[in-house]
Amino acid sequence: MVDGMETMDEGALLEVAQVLVESSPAAETEVIVDAQRDRFARFAGSGPTQSADRVMPHVMVRVRVERDGGLAEAQATCDRLDAGATRDALTRALEFARFAPVSNELIPMGGSVAVPACVGDERALECGFDVMADWIERAIGACEGARLAPAGLAQVAYSSRCLVNSAGRSVSGSASRAAFSLTASDPDGGGAGFADAIARQPEGVDVERIVARAIGKGESNRAPVGIEPGRYTVVLEPNAVSSLLLFAAYQGFGAQDVAEEASFLCGRRGEQSFSELVSISDDAGNDIYPGYTFDWEGTPKQRVELVRDGVLGGPVTDRLWAAKQGVENTGHAYPQPNTHGPKPWNLVMAGGSESVEELVAGVERGLLVTQLHYTNMIDPRDLLLTGMTRNGTFLIEGGEVRHAVKNLRFTESLVHAMASVSGVGSEREVAGALFDGEIVCPALRIEDFCFTSSTDF
Amino acid sequence: MSKDRMEWAKEAVRAAEAAGADYADARLVLLQVEEMSVKNGAPGEAGAPEEWGVGVRVRKDGCFGFGARPLSGGAEAEAVREAAQAAVACAGALGGAMREPTGWADLDSEGASEFETAVEIDPFGVSVADRLELLQAADASMDGQDSVVARQAFCSLRREEQWQASSEGARLHQVLVRTGAGMDVTAAAHGQVQRRSHPCSWGNYKTGGWEHVLAMDLPESGERIRDEAVALCAADPCPSGPRTVVIGASQLALQIHESVGHPNELDRVHGHEVDLAGSSFATPEKLGSFQYGSALVNLVADSTIEGGLDTRGWDDECVPSGRWDVVKDGIFTGYHTSREWAHTIDESMSRATARAEGWRNPPIIRITNLSLEPGTWDFDALVADCEDGAIFMDCVKMWSIDQRRLNFQFTCEIAWEIQGGRLGRILRNPTYQGRTPDFWGSCDAICSDAHWDLWGVSNCGKGNPMQTAEMSHGAAPARFRELMLLGAE
Repeated sequence: MVDGMETMDEGALLEVAQVLVESSPAAETEVIVDAQRDRFARFAGSGPTQSADRVMPHVMVRVRVERDGGLAEAQATCDRLDAGATRDALTRALEFARFAPVSNELIPMGGSVAVPACVGDERALECGFDVMADWIERAIGACEGARLAPAGLAQVAYSSRCLVNSAGRSVSGSASRAAFSLTASDPDGGGAGFADAIARQPEGVDVERIVARAIGKGESNRAPVGIEPGRYTVVLEPNAVSSLLLFAAYQGFGAQDVAEEASFLCGRRGEQSFSELVSISDDAGNDIYPGYTFDWEGTPKQRVELVRDGVLGGPVTDRLWAAKQGVENTGHAYPQPNTHGPKPWNLVMAGGSESVEELVAGVERGLLVTQLHYTNMIDPRDLLLTGMTRNGTFLIEGGEVRHAVKNLRFTESLVHAMASVSGVGSEREVAGALFDGEIVCPALRIEDFCFTSSTDF
Repeated sequence: MSKDRMEWAKEAVRAAEAAGADYADARLVLLQVEEMSVKNGAPGEAGAPEEWGVGVRVRKDGCFGFGARPLSGGAEAEAVREAAQAAVACAGALGGAMREPTGWADLDSEGASEFETAVEIDPFGVSVADRLELLQAADASMDGQDSVVARQAFCSLRREEQWQASSEGARLHQVLVRTGAGMDVTAAAHGQVQRRSHPCSWGNYKTGGWEHVLAMDLPESGERIRDEAVALCAADPCPSGPRTVVIGASQLALQIHESVGHPNELDRVHGHEVDLAGSSFATPEKLGSFQYGSALVNLVADSTIEGGLDTRGWDDECVPSGRWDVVKDGIFTGYHTSREWAHTIDESMSRATARAEGWRNPPIIRITNLSLEPGTWDFDALVADCEDGAIFMDCVKMWSIDQRRLNFQFTCEIAWEIQGGRLGRILRNPTYQGRTPDFWGSCDAICSDAHWDLWGVSNCGKGNPMQTAEMSHGAAPARFRELMLLGAE
């Protein structure tokens, strides 16, 4: 097969997988083919800085071979779809499995299953660099007018994925993503403003809105003033909320995390540990930013209520952890085999009833936070996190935003923060973080949020 | 075969020039990996990934473009041409948005050259069975305590072969072999969950062969880290407030990475990474005069050092590797640069630190091997020289630093209180907070080369979309005065 646009064809990917599974001598074989076509352009004040047009297929072959009365498992991958490369990957997997330890834990691969359709928007596949050049031109031009230094990313991607195994499972789907971000910085060393949008298709990216928001924040943040660390009521915008909640996906909401006692769910499941205003589900079928409807074992992803009105539920499972714990498989497997267990990657937080302005209006003295940076975990049991504010932190007094303040470091438990939510925004956005992942979430007002140090910008 | 592959690289360059590129370079990258782990006595991951593709970067009218395609069997010639044409089309479509052309340092790179990592024991020649036997022994050595909830041992072998050609006449072929391993154990008791690792938090990696893994003494270290993890669950929390702190070498390696390496990347300094990774406080007017640390602090970048994860012949812009001072006697003296950025600090040559992850990504400035030069202290003598209540801590547990690389907060896996000139009780969750120049300025003692080693970072993230890169940081334990400890609990 020629690796061009046709690499994304689901039928062709299924054929690659099917042929490989049928040719495998292993007791069990599973093949995942994932292909992505993306185009991106980064930019700064000088114009586009880096850009790329990429075709990236990826094939994962998992085999189980019988040995010493049991099964041994191994995996190999390659990044080409031709018969020679995929056959080599199968050979490497078989060779590895020949020496891998025999396991008593392996659950037979799942058989035929129906999964809900997931279809990427082909406008993402067709979107060219001319569209991104226009986005970039508008952002740079507006920043020049405001005397701010721009930097950002335009990216449009389309992916197709299929899974076929020797037990008769055959599932496939596609997904798409378009994103545009802008950081508008004061060229004289003051602060910056940030805004972004992530959608299923280029038409879902409101460039004007992003540019206006980033520049508005950047202009308001030219001369931030220092403020003492301490406990503040905060209004976190969605890009700050995502930095916190994604850690619950990384570490906490998975069954293995709970079994290894490295989860904030330990001792809290069924308890009202979060504010009753907080409800979080993992929902790949959500209508704001849907994802693949099947996991890396080909199991349909269930919508799982992880937090309902503040009461903790979960965790999410895969085939192995569902069997180990005697519970239902929720369809949250990572590519197997792995050492970290199931994770929820389509978190959706329920919206509330207040606009950001109304959330701010409920604060006597506090901080409005645009974004958090380099959030990381100190301790998993209370999900104790630390990180910095970034790209626009503003003092709120008397229910109104007063002025920009210099950045602060927070050190706060996610459990305490979510227990202290006093308001939930009505508008939800797709938001990511420095590390991996994107979620759907609103702005939040949180009482008693702990900042432990400051910096001088 | 190698000659054929160089021909494909040259063909990509020719195709880019034919499509209108002013400059082009092509990298064919073949990455072969073997990874395995044993977790709780059972197989964890056992995988053999392989990547093979071409990335072509062009410069047209001052605008960069990049195309990447996998190299499918029988369709290689078509793929290299398609990647080249995609790169030129990309630069052409975006060129209209350029305000000023990108910089581009000259380079005399014409001719063919070879580089290959020196390997004592070929890691791919060690049988899978022998590798597994070692990991199983390491995993088993951490068993035997009821409060242990998870344990794992792992190893990783990577062989990266590159064929690189440019329109300036470069014909470069290099083979980089990276080998690493590690182990960790998690205990849960008394409402605490605590993890210990060996030889450091995510294993250690070097360029070279299996000899590095054998030198780690994995099975011999399991009982110690297991007992330390169990002890941490019952330990007192590390206290708060300013203290004298001796920081272990592997933790110091991350400190170097985050507070010296990243702010030293010249593309960050100029704001081109501010959209995700951030910018830098270490701006060019500080070069040559800024007091980055105490006079004891010497930090040297070196992409030629033996065993360094970024030890190579050339970077991904065909520039030969080198060594230079980043901080000399405490003064900020040098940057990591690329051909795009060298001119902004009046340097005519790049420092050869433009690198890309695999064949799929365009190069960006990456930290190379960056090390704190050793001092003169013996470790025991340094501990004995500390006052009661001083702290020794090591092994990365958590790290976080602001977007200009000034305000940081790090937590280590373990600490010991120093009493009577010796290591005393174990303390949990030791966390320190500081500001980069204040931290390095408070360094008043560094251990000798007998305590110095290279610590590999195998997953450094930067760029947008994010790329990962590898590098090493050499360090020996060092002492810092009045470091602010944070009772993070």
